[in-house]
Amino acid sequence: MSTEAPAAAPQTPTASAVPLIEARDIGKRYGSVRALGGVSTVVKAGEVTCVLGDNGAGKSTFIKILAGSHQQSDGELLIDGTPTHFSSPRAALDAGIATVYQDLAVVPLMPVWRNFFLGSEPTTGAGPFRKLDVKQMKATTFTELDNMGIRLRDVDQPIGTLSGGERQCVAIARAVYFGARVLILDEPTAALGVKQSGVVLRYIARARDRGLGVVFITHNPHHAYPIGDRFMLLQRGESLGTFPKSEISLEELTGMMAGGAELETLAHELARSGGSAAEVARELRAEVDALPTDTASAQSPAESPAAAAASAEPDAR
Amino acid sequence: MTTTDLVTVANRRSLDRSRLKRLFTRPEIGALVAAIAVLVFFSVYTGQFFSLPGAGVWLESASTFGIMAVAVALLMIGGEFDLSSGVMTGFTALIVGVLTTHYGLNIWVAVVIALIVALGVGALNGYLVMKTGLPSFIVTLGTFFVLAGIDLALTKVITGQVSIQGMTQVPLYDSIQPVFGSSVEIGGGNFYVSVLWWVAVTVVATWVLLRTRAGNWIFAVGGAQTAARQIGVPVLKTKIGLFMTTAGAGWLVGMISLFRTSTVQANTGVGQEFIYIICAVVGGCLLTGGFGSAIGAALGALIYGMTFQGITFAQWDTNWLRTFLGAMLLGAVFLNHWVRIRAGGGSR
Amino acid sequence: MKKLLASIGIVAAAGILLTACTGTGQENAGTVDKKTDLTYAVVTHSGPGDAFWDRVKSGAEQAGKDYGAKINYNSDPDPAKQSQLIDNAVAQKVDGIVVSMANPDGVEASVKKAVAAGIPVVTINSGIERSKEFGAITHVGQSETVAGEEVGKKLKEEGWKNALCVIQEAGNVGLEERCKATASTFGGTLANLQVDGTNDADVKATIKSKLQADPTIDGVLTLGGQYAIDAVGAVDESGSKAKVATFDLSEDVVSNIESGKIVFAVDQQPYVQGFLGVTALYLKSINGNDIGGGQPVYSGPAFVTKENAAQVAKFAKQGTR
Repeated sequence: MSTEAPAAAPQTPTASAVPLIEARDIGKRYGSVRALGGVSTVVKAGEVTCVLGDNGAGKSTFIKILAGSHQQSDGELLIDGTPTHFSSPRAALDAGIATVYQDLAVVPLMPVWRNFFLGSEPTTGAGPFRKLDVKQMKATTFTELDNMGIRLRDVDQPIGTLSGGERQCVAIARAVYFGARVLILDEPTAALGVKQSGVVLRYIARARDRGLGVVFITHNPHHAYPIGDRFMLLQRGESLGTFPKSEISLEELTGMMAGGAELETLAHELARSGGSAAEVARELRAEVDALPTDTASAQSPAESPAAAAASAEPDAR
Repeated sequence: MTTTDLVTVANRRSLDRSRLKRLFTRPEIGALVAAIAVLVFFSVYTGQFFSLPGAGVWLESASTFGIMAVAVALLMIGGEFDLSSGVMTGFTALIVGVLTTHYGLNIWVAVVIALIVALGVGALNGYLVMKTGLPSFIVTLGTFFVLAGIDLALTKVITGQVSIQGMTQVPLYDSIQPVFGSSVEIGGGNFYVSVLWWVAVTVVATWVLLRTRAGNWIFAVGGAQTAARQIGVPVLKTKIGLFMTTAGAGWLVGMISLFRTSTVQANTGVGQEFIYIICAVVGGCLLTGGFGSAIGAALGALIYGMTFQGITFAQWDTNWLRTFLGAMLLGAVFLNHWVRIRAGGGSR
Repeated sequence: MKKLLASIGIVAAAGILLTACTGTGQENAGTVDKKTDLTYAVVTHSGPGDAFWDRVKSGAEQAGKDYGAKINYNSDPDPAKQSQLIDNAVAQKVDGIVVSMANPDGVEASVKKAVAAGIPVVTINSGIERSKEFGAITHVGQSETVAGEEVGKKLKEEGWKNALCVIQEAGNVGLEERCKATASTFGGTLANLQVDGTNDADVKATIKSKLQADPTIDGVLTLGGQYAIDAVGAVDESGSKAKVATFDLSEDVVSNIESGKIVFAVDQQPYVQGFLGVTALYLKSINGNDIGGGQPVYSGPAFVTKENAAQVAKFAKQGTR
């Protein structure tokens, strides 16, 4: 098990020579506090780079740097081989890097079609009479979502009435439609149940197959492993290294996650003392194995009653 | 935004297919029904309310509230309040009054200067709110008091009085007065040009809100500001634009009031800002932002104007005026709310 | 749709219920007798809950009762809204309008329109200078200038040197004029003090802090009866030796004059303004009279001092002086 050199990616013959994004020893400080350090990884076209880590590991700091919300204070960020500091989210978008945030960056009360085009609305007419091309906007939204396998009865319904998975897919479809080359997905499956997570993973695969580079942030190795091409692990703001899929198994990945190693040590200690402690140890071990899956199936507060009610309706396919 | 709002909105939207049903999911439909109810009530109850002279009175009363309510509604949809909107009407009128009657400036130039100053104050409001991250409620309360103080102190210092006198003697007064303060007589009723301004402002605001990029951004910054920023909506620009719009509407109402009465007092407009907010809320705006309509706000102002003048037409003891006003407004809001729920859930 | 109609019905019913409570519905509508079918509108520039204007209202209503005429009293301190109330009365085709003109320019158009519509207008209280120009029959009130000058002289006699003039309503032209006219004959220093008249506790506190800040102040002139009481309290609490005098009366003011805490009050007799205003219209309606002969009818000033306070007290108690 060794950290991957940028050259070693033989399993993807389609990848171009220059990675879309290359991070070299990137770090971020807030005053004297070091939030992130020593992060190196690459994102290539048609590949999925997974960023794994527990809460507070520095995942969100890392994606904020990629998305242009923050700027790195150490290291180099290369976009198409050129060193870059993004000044704003807009600048990152213009470079073809689209981010789908955990809260999905959708406005719940606004209709689906308005959300789909928010910030990049097509217009017709000129001067003071320049107006939204509503007809085209609605039609495009319907078609694009249909391509993703979501058939909406009415693109006029507020996006807040869609299920969590559907909203996630709208956000992904939106990024793909607007010509993203790199798609950053912040915990897209965190708030979803098992079935919905599967749906979202399928869309990630679909986006990858279209030739997009995908950065998939998650704390669930069970979601990351089947779809990822390389895995970068973060712990307490430090990188534990980047591993190609060929060099790491799901078990190893799970073990490295979320203080898994520490839990294991604890389980061993408890097992030695025998008796009821062994019982606890068994449970702990089971928990170590199941840990990410459990958290994933828990409903987060983001899943509002309305959304739940909406998802109770017959699925849109 | 609360979950209840979303549920309400979600219910309203669900399973609606026919055109009629869709009409009933508009945010302003409740206000429309309430406005019709108020109109029918006073028309039946009093003799002169439903006549051209009567309509002239309550339309004029509603018009100035309406212009402000529409602008305030846009701002509220964008998730902010402007408590300086009331005093802005007096502030701009005083600028024109002082510049023309005391310094002898050309009246057209003075009117333009007042507009520029108003837009500047609006931009400052927006900039302060966005840069400090403080609630607009507090920031604009500050502007409100500052402007109210300036209105009184500066007017008194400069003119030695607390109201502008002698506007009609200002050269070119007659050339600009018709723009803001003229009226036409139709069937014995006087209809002021402010009613046309009100309609125009409502039409433009509705167009902007529903058919332009700016409108999309207004809904977005009010509904989910962080999300809007993440997706590339120019939040700062949108919000500052909204505050400037409110200030600009304040200028328009200031001019209407100045050229309607040919005078303005140092205390003009103080306390009116809440009425604008009330009209916007009666018209279907959520206090939490992200939802509402310009037409609704205009209807809210119509309800207010009709009720206010209708009570006088009804010749009720005006010691009770505020009680009646409050009861009627509550009734209108309940009816509004009831219609919205009904319209949404009716198909289930 | 049925439900909509039903809800309209509910609102209508609620309104009727409310009116029933006030007992001022239109029961007499449709009567033939001309004398009992008269309706007069009284439109003033008062803010809500003002003691002075309540006396004007009482006077007008008493006159209405005596003559069998219906009185609609409305008020708004904003000239634009006051104009709308006048327009409203015109639209209702009332038999006459009594209007107070704190800011004559502001209501000029509406008053002239009423006159043009053939509705007799009487101005009261303020606006004496423009009344005739606007086409009113007459004006009932006191000249703020005359009253102010008289007060100034009287304060000089009392030996005041450095006094406050407490203005309870920002932007009220009439109040500003009172202070100005008083200062013109006073001789000493008369500094204006702005207070929020809708909040008596605040008025008291503001006067108190001013007295504490400047111990040389030897007199406080208030422009409304209720504010004189606030001033008396402020003088007591601050330990200042300042004296208090006031425009306008109230029951409390009279008892304070009797006990010597207020030196004098100048009463413009608001009840008279309301009563005579309606009377002038009534005479016009029944007999075509134009009273005043083109000149104003003065309702004051009447000075209330320790000497005549006892006799005024009785009427102040009824809320008519």
